Amino acid sequence: MSQINYRTINIDQLDPESSANFPMETLLPATLPQPETSSDAANVATQVRQLLRGGDTEGALRHVLDTAPLGGDDRAKEVHLATVIEVLQGIRQAEMTRVLEGVCGADGGAERADCLMKYLYKGMSAPAPSSGAQSPRKTVSPQETGFSQVQARNVGEGGGGQQMSVLLNWHEKLVELTGTGSIVRVMTDRRTV
Amino acid sequence: MSQSLRPYLQCVRSSLTAALAISNFASQTSERHNVPEIEAQTSPELILNPLTVSRNAEERVLIEPSVNSVRVSIRIKQADEIEHILVHKFTRFLQQRAESFFILRRKPIKGYDISFLITNVHVEAMLKHKLVDFIIQFMEEVDKEISEMKLFLNARARFVAESFLTPF
Repeated sequence: MSQINYRTINIDQLDPESSANFPMETLLPATLPQPETSSDAANVATQVRQLLRGGDTEGALRHVLDTAPLGGDDRAKEVHLATVIEVLQGIRQAEMTRVLEGVCGADGGAERADCLMKYLYKGMSAPAPSSGAQSPRKTVSPQETGFSQVQARNVGEGGGGQQMSVLLNWHEKLVELTGTGSIVRVMTDRRTV
Repeated sequence: MSQSLRPYLQCVRSSLTAALAISNFASQTSERHNVPEIEAQTSPELILNPLTVSRNAEERVLIEPSVNSVRVSIRIKQADEIEHILVHKFTRFLQQRAESFFILRRKPIKGYDISFLITNVHVEAMLKHKLVDFIIQFMEEVDKEISEMKLFLNARARFVAESFLTPF
């Protein structure tokens, strides 16, 4: 016992009354949908792909936002995020405004807009899948001096720039439609996607 | 301005505008204290979901909002080692003079190059849209500054090398 430096113990964490032990689950609403697993998310993904293949981009986006795994585990959320990004990348830039107005204007559109905004931020915070594979960054320089100009030219776009610019375009269009309110709801909503 | 820079800055601008809705909030753990909750991390319910805006794998902004403070961390583009050194020197120079910038944090968050800490005091004393403008302008200028410094450094290195090698 004498080995532990008692000054480094955070006593707040041991006190059940302390604010550090706030029960975070009380912030979640009771109406949270049933927990989903990754296989449910994969089922949704196949349905959405069928809709996309049929050319119904608006229906695909609406379906994928309505089936967001708010109560799911991390794996299900990851699978669903990949599906959402696939749908967003499948919609052409010229169609964005029309699709968004269709999806967010109908009944329950505000919830869908908030859900889409959550996915946009989540997509941007996730590391881009292509970046690691195609350009392994070398931190060691070939010269002994540590300096070298002989390096792969990396002008402007780093890895994953393509996907990010799609998400940024969607973000801009969505903010035009809903204002900053939906960004505030992304920050304050504890039901993460 | 390049084609992909404009939506990036626009996204940062709207995210910051949303995140800067902060108000005075006294500490819950110690009486008569008033600390930025995002730094203290003593009450999990006061800290909101962080937002990340990224342009590509190298350039991104992390916005960590809380009830009375917002922490904004910027990762500046570094294409090669010279830029890495230049960014390090440049941010260090600014951070040593942090009190003249009011919102600048003395140390960046891990994984980022420079951090700002905006508290409710700053939002009350200064105009919110000007604060947002300041950060956006900083992001615009810093890229320009770094590439200018790199060009200047290369030119000087070439000149030095030429005059050093003239006798041979």
